[in-house]
Amino acid sequence: MTKITGAKVVIETLIQENVEVIFGYPGGAVLPIYDEIFKQKKIRHILVRHEQAAVHAAEGYARSTGKVGVVLVTSGPGATNTVTGLTDAMMDSIPIVCITGQVPTHMIGNDAFQEADIVGITRPCTKHNYLVKDVTKLAGVIHSAFNICINGRPGPVLVDIPKDIQTFKTVYKGKKAYKDNRYYKPKVKPDDEKINEIVKLMTESSKPIFYVGGGVINSGTKASKELFKLIKKTSFPCTQTLMGLGAFPTSDNQFIGMLGMHGTYEANHSMHKSDLLLCVGARFDDRITGKVSGFSPKSKKVHMDIDPSSFNKSVNVDVMVQGDLYRILSAINNRIEEKKIIFSKNKIKKWWIQIDKWRSRNCLRYKNSKEIIKPQFALERLNKLTEKLNPFITTEVGQHQMWAAQFLSFNKPKHWMTSGGLGTMGYGLPAAMGVQIAHPKELVIDVAGEASILMNIQEMSTIKQYKLPVKIFILNNHYMGMVKQWQELLHGNRLSESYMESLPDFVKLAESFGASGIQVLKPNDLDEAINEMISIKGPVICDVVVDPNENCFPMIPSGSTHDQMLLGPNDKVDGEISEEGMILV
Amino acid sequence: MSNLINTKHILSIMVDNEPGVLARVVGLFSGRGYNIESLSVSEVDSDKFLSRVTIVTSGTKIIVDQIKAQLKKLIPVHDLIDITELDSFIGKELILIKLNVKSITKKGFEDVIHKTKTNILFDKGNEVIIQFSGSPSEIRSLLNKLKPFKIIEQTRSGLVSMALGTKYIKK
Repeated sequence: MTKITGAKVVIETLIQENVEVIFGYPGGAVLPIYDEIFKQKKIRHILVRHEQAAVHAAEGYARSTGKVGVVLVTSGPGATNTVTGLTDAMMDSIPIVCITGQVPTHMIGNDAFQEADIVGITRPCTKHNYLVKDVTKLAGVIHSAFNICINGRPGPVLVDIPKDIQTFKTVYKGKKAYKDNRYYKPKVKPDDEKINEIVKLMTESSKPIFYVGGGVINSGTKASKELFKLIKKTSFPCTQTLMGLGAFPTSDNQFIGMLGMHGTYEANHSMHKSDLLLCVGARFDDRITGKVSGFSPKSKKVHMDIDPSSFNKSVNVDVMVQGDLYRILSAINNRIEEKKIIFSKNKIKKWWIQIDKWRSRNCLRYKNSKEIIKPQFALERLNKLTEKLNPFITTEVGQHQMWAAQFLSFNKPKHWMTSGGLGTMGYGLPAAMGVQIAHPKELVIDVAGEASILMNIQEMSTIKQYKLPVKIFILNNHYMGMVKQWQELLHGNRLSESYMESLPDFVKLAESFGASGIQVLKPNDLDEAINEMISIKGPVICDVVVDPNENCFPMIPSGSTHDQMLLGPNDKVDGEISEEGMILV
Repeated sequence: MSNLINTKHILSIMVDNEPGVLARVVGLFSGRGYNIESLSVSEVDSDKFLSRVTIVTSGTKIIVDQIKAQLKKLIPVHDLIDITELDSFIGKELILIKLNVKSITKKGFEDVIHKTKTNILFDKGNEVIIQFSGSPSEIRSLLNKLKPFKIIEQTRSGLVSMALGTKYIKK
C-alpha cells in the first residue's frame, strides 16, 4: 500500500467519518494539514476570526444537526484559545473533535515558540484527549476520538498532533482496520426490571411530573418522539430545563414552563409538591434545585440518564436507570402497551387543578409601556412574527438568555442553542454561524445582549466572508443586566462596573461588515423592524434599545427553595438572604 | 454505611499504561476536591500495557460513589473495584527506614528487628537501612517500637491491596 503523510491521514480519516465542515484557523504548527485541505474538495473549511469562536461554531453545528463538530487550530495560543469553547462543550455534552497542531516531537518540553501543553491544559475540560507521537497510531486515534465524542454522554475530544508527525509517512488502511481502538462501549440498553419499576411508580402516582433535560435532545429526534408519546399517553405535566427546551413542544398545554432559578411559578411549585419526579436526561444542576435540602421533599425520584456519574451526585434518587434515553423511553412505552395500562386522568385531576391555579398567577407577566421597549415585549413580538418560520435560536448569556427561554416557543428539538452549563458570554454569535452553515436556508437568530455580543464581535468578519444571513437581535439595556440584577438584589444596588460605557453604534458596525443595521427605540416601531430584519436576505444586526430597569423574574433567590420564588420587583425576599445563599453564584 | 460518616476506601483501578494516565486519575481527585491518602501505581501487564493503581481515599457514601463513577468514566480505565466493600482483602505496604544506631543502643535495636521480622539491607558504621512490609497498622506498630532510636529518613510505597476469593479485577 502507498504511504501518505500524517497530514493526509488527518484529511482521509475525517472524510471517512463523513465530516463535511471544519471550523478553524491556520498557524505554523498545522500548515501541513492546511496544505492538504487546500488540495481537496470534499471538506469545507470555515475560517473563523478567533479560535474560541471556532469551537462555539462547531457546537452550534453539532447541536443543530446531531453530527460531530470539528475544529482545527494551531499550537500554543491557537490551542489555548479553544479552552473556553471546549469547557463549554464539556459542560453541555456537545460532541466536538478538536485537532490542534503541536511543535515537533523533539521540541516538546523545550518551551519552543508557540508551544503549550494543551493535552495537560485540557485534560479536565475534555471527555478525553490525545498527544500523537507515532504516525502509525494517528488514524486509530482520530477514529477513536470520533467514537468517544459522540457515544455515551457526548463531549469534546482533543487530538494534539506534532508538526513532524504531520509530515511523516504511513499507510492508511481505512476506518474498519482501526476497530481495535473502539473498545469504548458505554451501556445503552436499560435493565428490564427498572423499566417495570418505573411503570409501576407511574401508575401509582397522583402528583407526577416529567423533568426533562438536554439528554433527550442528545439522544436524537426519535427520543423526543418517544417522550412525546409517553407524556401524551400519561397526561402528566412536563417541565424542561434550559438545555431541554424543545425536547417536548413548549406550546403544548402539558408543558408547564421551564423550571429552576428563572423558571415558572407553576413548574417550580409542581416540582416542590410532586409525589413522583421523572427526571429524563437532566442532572439536578444547582440552577434547577435551588437549596438541595429543600428540593422536591415529598417525591419519589426516578433518574434516567446515560451517565451513571450523574446519579445521586447532588440529589438522592430512588430509582436510577442507565441507558440511552431513546431506548429507555421506548422500553417504557412498550411496557405500557404490553400490559395494556391505561392512565386515568381522574387520578391526576386534582393535581392539574392545583397546577392550573399556580399557572393562573401568570408569573411571566410584566408591565408593558408605550414609551419604552420592554425586553419581554420585544421577545414576544419576535416570537409572534417568526414562529411560523420555526427559527433556530442561539443566545449569549445573561438576562436576555433567560427571557428568550421564557418567551420564545421551542416546538422542535435541536432548534435552541444556548450556553447552559458554563454560561459563556460570546457564545451566541459564533454558534449561530455554525447553525447557519449547517442550515443555509433556515432563519437563524442570535438573541443577544449588548455586552455579550461584544465578546466575539470579530466574527462579523466571518459572517461577511461566507455571506451567512444570521440575524442578531440585541436587547440593548446598556448594562450587564444579570450582573446589575444581582448587584441590586444582593449588593445594595452598588452597580460596580456593570454599566456598558462607550458602546459602538451597532448600525454602523453592521454596515462596516457589509451587514444591515437597524435600531429600534419605540415599541410602536418594533414589528416593522422585526419584519424588516427577517425580510433582508443577508446578515442583520437589530439593535433593540430596551428598558434598562427591567429585571428577570420570576426568580428563586440563592439558597432558597422552589416554593420561595420572587414573582416581580415588588416581591421582597423573606428576611435577609442567608449567608449561605450570598456565597452561591 | 451512613450518608454522613466518612469511611476509608481502597480502590483498585486497572488502567492503560500510557503517558498522562496518572495525571488523569490524580487530576480528577484534585479538580473535584477529593482526598488521596495513599497512591501506588505500577505496570502489571507489559503485553497489554496495563497498570494497576491503588488509591486509598475517604468520604461519605455519596462522595465515594461519585469518585468511583467519575473514575469509571475516564477512557483509559478498564475496571475498578472497591476492595473495602468486599468480604476480605489483604493490604500491604513497604517501608524503608534509615536510622542512626549507636553501639550502646545496638542490642535493643536488634531485638526490635528480630521480633518484627524486619530485614536489614545496609549496616555500616552507625547507619542502618531496614526494610519492612506489612499492613498500615503493623507499620505503625514498628515505628512506635523504633521511637527510642534516631530515624534519619523513611519512605513508604503506599498501600497495595488484593481481594481474597473470586473477585478479580478485569483487564
